[in-house]
Amino acid sequence: MFVLTIAALSACGRSHPESATAAGDSEDMLQVVGPWEIVSIDPLRSGYLFTRMQATETFLDAADDGSPRPAVARDWSVSSDGLTWRFELRPNIRFHDGTTLVVADVLAALERARHPPGSLALAPIASIEGAGSTITIALRTPFAQLPALLAHSSTQVLAPSSFGPGGAITTIVGTGPYRVVEVHPPQSFDVVRFDGWDGPRPAVERARYLAVARSETRGLLAESGQADVVFTLDPATLVRFKVSQRPALVAVTMPRSIVLLMNAGLSALSDIGTRKALSLAIDRPAIARAVLRDPEMAATQLFPPTLRGWYATHVAPLVTDVSEADRLLREVGWTRGRDSMLIRDGQPFHLELRTFPDRPELPIIATVIQEQFRRLGVRLDVQIGNSGDIPLGHRDGSLQLGLSARTYTTVPDPVGTLLQDFGPSGGDWGAMNWSNAELTDVLNELSIVPESPQRDALKQRAAEILQNELPVIPIAWYRQTAAVSDRVAGVTLDPLERSYRIAQITWATRQQAAR
Amino acid sequence: MGYPSTGRTIAAVCARRLTQAVLVALVVSTVSFFMMRALPGDPAFRIAAARYGEDLVSAAAADQVRTELGLDQPWPRALGDWMARSVRFDLGVSFVTGAPVIREIQEQLGHTLVLSAVAMGASLLVGPVLGAFIGWRAGSRLDRVVRLGTVLVKAVPSFLLGVVFVMAFSIQFASLPAAGHADATSVILPALTLAVGLVAGSCRITRDAMHRVRDSEYFMFARTKGLSERDTFLHHAVRNAAAPVVAYLGVQLVFLIEGVIAVETLFAWPGIGHALVHAVFGRDIPMIQGTALVMALMFVSLNAMIDVATLAIDPRRR
Amino acid sequence: MNSLPVFVRRASRQQVIGGVIIVCLALFAVVVPLFAGDPLTQDLDHTLAWPSVSQPMGTDHLGRSVLARLSNAARLSLSVALISVATAALSGAATGILAAWRGGWSERVLVAIGDVVLAVPGLLLVILMTVLAPGESWPFYVGLSAAMWVEHFRIVRAASRSLLASPQVEASRLLGFGPFYIVRRHLAPELAPMLATLTIFGAATAVVSLATLGLVGLGVRPPTPELGRLIIESLPHYREAPWLVSAPVALLAITVVALALVADREESL
Repeated sequence: MFVLTIAALSACGRSHPESATAAGDSEDMLQVVGPWEIVSIDPLRSGYLFTRMQATETFLDAADDGSPRPAVARDWSVSSDGLTWRFELRPNIRFHDGTTLVVADVLAALERARHPPGSLALAPIASIEGAGSTITIALRTPFAQLPALLAHSSTQVLAPSSFGPGGAITTIVGTGPYRVVEVHPPQSFDVVRFDGWDGPRPAVERARYLAVARSETRGLLAESGQADVVFTLDPATLVRFKVSQRPALVAVTMPRSIVLLMNAGLSALSDIGTRKALSLAIDRPAIARAVLRDPEMAATQLFPPTLRGWYATHVAPLVTDVSEADRLLREVGWTRGRDSMLIRDGQPFHLELRTFPDRPELPIIATVIQEQFRRLGVRLDVQIGNSGDIPLGHRDGSLQLGLSARTYTTVPDPVGTLLQDFGPSGGDWGAMNWSNAELTDVLNELSIVPESPQRDALKQRAAEILQNELPVIPIAWYRQTAAVSDRVAGVTLDPLERSYRIAQITWATRQQAAR
Repeated sequence: MGYPSTGRTIAAVCARRLTQAVLVALVVSTVSFFMMRALPGDPAFRIAAARYGEDLVSAAAADQVRTELGLDQPWPRALGDWMARSVRFDLGVSFVTGAPVIREIQEQLGHTLVLSAVAMGASLLVGPVLGAFIGWRAGSRLDRVVRLGTVLVKAVPSFLLGVVFVMAFSIQFASLPAAGHADATSVILPALTLAVGLVAGSCRITRDAMHRVRDSEYFMFARTKGLSERDTFLHHAVRNAAAPVVAYLGVQLVFLIEGVIAVETLFAWPGIGHALVHAVFGRDIPMIQGTALVMALMFVSLNAMIDVATLAIDPRRR
Repeated sequence: MNSLPVFVRRASRQQVIGGVIIVCLALFAVVVPLFAGDPLTQDLDHTLAWPSVSQPMGTDHLGRSVLARLSNAARLSLSVALISVATAALSGAATGILAAWRGGWSERVLVAIGDVVLAVPGLLLVILMTVLAPGESWPFYVGLSAAMWVEHFRIVRAASRSLLASPQVEASRLLGFGPFYIVRRHLAPELAPMLATLTIFGAATAVVSLATLGLVGLGVRPPTPELGRLIIESLPHYREAPWLVSAPVALLAITVVALALVADREESL
């Protein structure tokens, strides 16, 4: 009886893919899958998902190379002293509830973004004012990355009707080409084409974002064609798709690195010789080959070669040399104990490594590092938990080692992220109890100096300092890959991960699909 | 395992289960309290971070939370405060999402109930029918084969079957969803996984009960009275066989609740089991407490219902 | 006189088959880890290798020996099952006899504790214990023993009550024999077969509970090999290396099936 039921259902399944909302043909629903859950609809928390699905717009946009592009603001100029920025808003922007955008709505959005974790908290803003269709931002000191910060998802503009009494967000009413129709946190939300959009009309009428936590499940959804665009597949699934050539894969190398975060305040990690030794013990090419299945991703420094200007061309690359690592550790007083683990002044070299399963390769890399450190004599306890444990551990001082993937273009210009991570007080996802005066100066200068050979030299110097001091240990670079079903065409990936570019996706014609 | 109550009346049964429920709630709350204390790092910090967001939290906010929730008090007093809050159903907010625990659990409970109902319903359609058929013909070849089959199937944990299903159905057939999205067709695989184990159990119990009834004295008496085979089956056998089947539901409940934890995680079904595992991963104590409480209380109340049903079916137990 | 214990003499054919399988599994778990090598040593140049002479069961996604990991995982399951079941049986029997003998308050308290433990499904109890001490192994033993203790306690208490009221025990008491003698001579022979069946079911429960926790990621901390963890780690590679998933699945299935065969007392007609 079960067999008959299953056979019947599978026949149904083949002719009617993935049932969608009650009304509307499911043929028109674009299914996007990713691992990130919708924690809340607050723009400062999970707001980036709504921007990616193009339901909301940020103040400025950014091109693939990070340079600013118009969005809600159409034009901009800066005074000669660099302290006053003037932005002209795009005319006749409509919210999804039919109202017209006014300057007060934009001011409200920018004010929201001034509070951490909003991006504007990093800028030395003196005041933000608006009148008519112009917004004026006055700075205390010159800050060249302001346009980059203004392209961050925390600046997304929401209609006043999004807020309930008391100022809490109740719905997402934005200005993008798609409007939010249903939100089912933490799993999914649906968007539908917005007829009041003033740009070219998108081909895709409805779309759904679905959060799926298990990477094998995401792989199955991609393989069976039930999802159209699937992000963050685990390496084994990617290999399988590359071999079978179905579904198609789209990739882009991102300025994201898998790094080992360290608490340099611990006596075991405070001196640079120890950190260098740990770095020498890690076999990065093997990790890239065996775990990531992508040999080119073995990191030789923090920034990948695609991040031009920042990739340091004149530094010695990170290598594997276990005997040199042994020597460096012995130099600072570590000796092998009875169980062949390192010990110094009666203290064993025993640390806790925190990581999280949201990116499927992280727990596996943690296990590899654990074993590679064990051969060195360092004992690691791997703690796989919530991603929030790392920033929390940074703030309450309990973090010892952390393994994470850090995107250096969360704000299109890396300087912002670098200031956050490697500034004088360190950062949640960067250095801990470490600072370097010269690096701080270099980064501050980079905030002011415009594009020039001087700026290029400063970028190289920053990369050199990071390579020599190793406040964090780079492990691997990152290639963002998505599996694309044959129902769709025109899928491109945004290296800055700001948008899924749904408005540019079209439904494949018969010829394209038949291949 | 849930044994049928030895109480004689429905009131006695309910009283017993109620005491059980209260005791369980107390125990779960106490254990959660000590879990909080056993957490590495500062619990006040965690709660403040959940409330205000990780980036806005500061030592000052943590201190405020500490005094507000009495976390700096000696543990007996703090435990009392904690209990008082639980009694008021103030289960707090999740450390991970910042949303009230009660609201999250309501949504998740719905999903679990759907899954359990489908699995249990399917198994009750198939198991007892099959078992009655076999039991009527106890001793036959078919009986021996099915009996051995039920022993083997019941022994194997449901998630192994789930793993096999995930590999077989979703890849080879590529039409049954293996996703976590809670819609109509995606309940099939997880429910099937659970149902198979349940069927094995209920089939066996029905078979044994039917076999005993058939051999019993009053059955033979009914037959000698002249009743047809069909009538004796309907009037006597079913009623008498039903009692142990209903009582066995208590055992099946354990299987179901434990199976739900593994199956929901495997299929990413957004129910209570999945939430509990996520919460343990994230050291989300309020969610752990909430989901554990809900699961335990659900278990007690369902057992109570089974006790009442057993009493109703079999008056001899009164 | 036949020197074998009663329950072995009367074993049915299916129980014998089950018993033989269990003995083989026990040998696998105890002997193979001694020469199978280190389950933790990785070899990133030879991942997902097919079975060969040097690696009879191939290697996993990090180049570790599958044979070593599987046999060590089996060893872990075996020891957890043995220890927790023994603890549960002994404590259950002791408290059951105590309750039946003394009665009164001690009996009522024990019954109440049993009720509370019964109200919580065993797996949930173990999970709550693991939060108290994440990654350690003592929560399993405590949680599993506590969950299984109740069954033993109730059965022993019920049986002891009627046994202790019997004329034989009465006579022994009048003759002046002490409690230890009475337990050994009158209670033990009757209780043993009941406890035996319960213990076997308990062992199956322990193995499955441990594997369930490993599957959902709450079990022993990596990289310690454990059956449930092996299954979930190998699942992403089921196409490239199907033996990686199949081996622990098969081992787990065979273990519980063998235990079920031994425990099922119904004679095949």
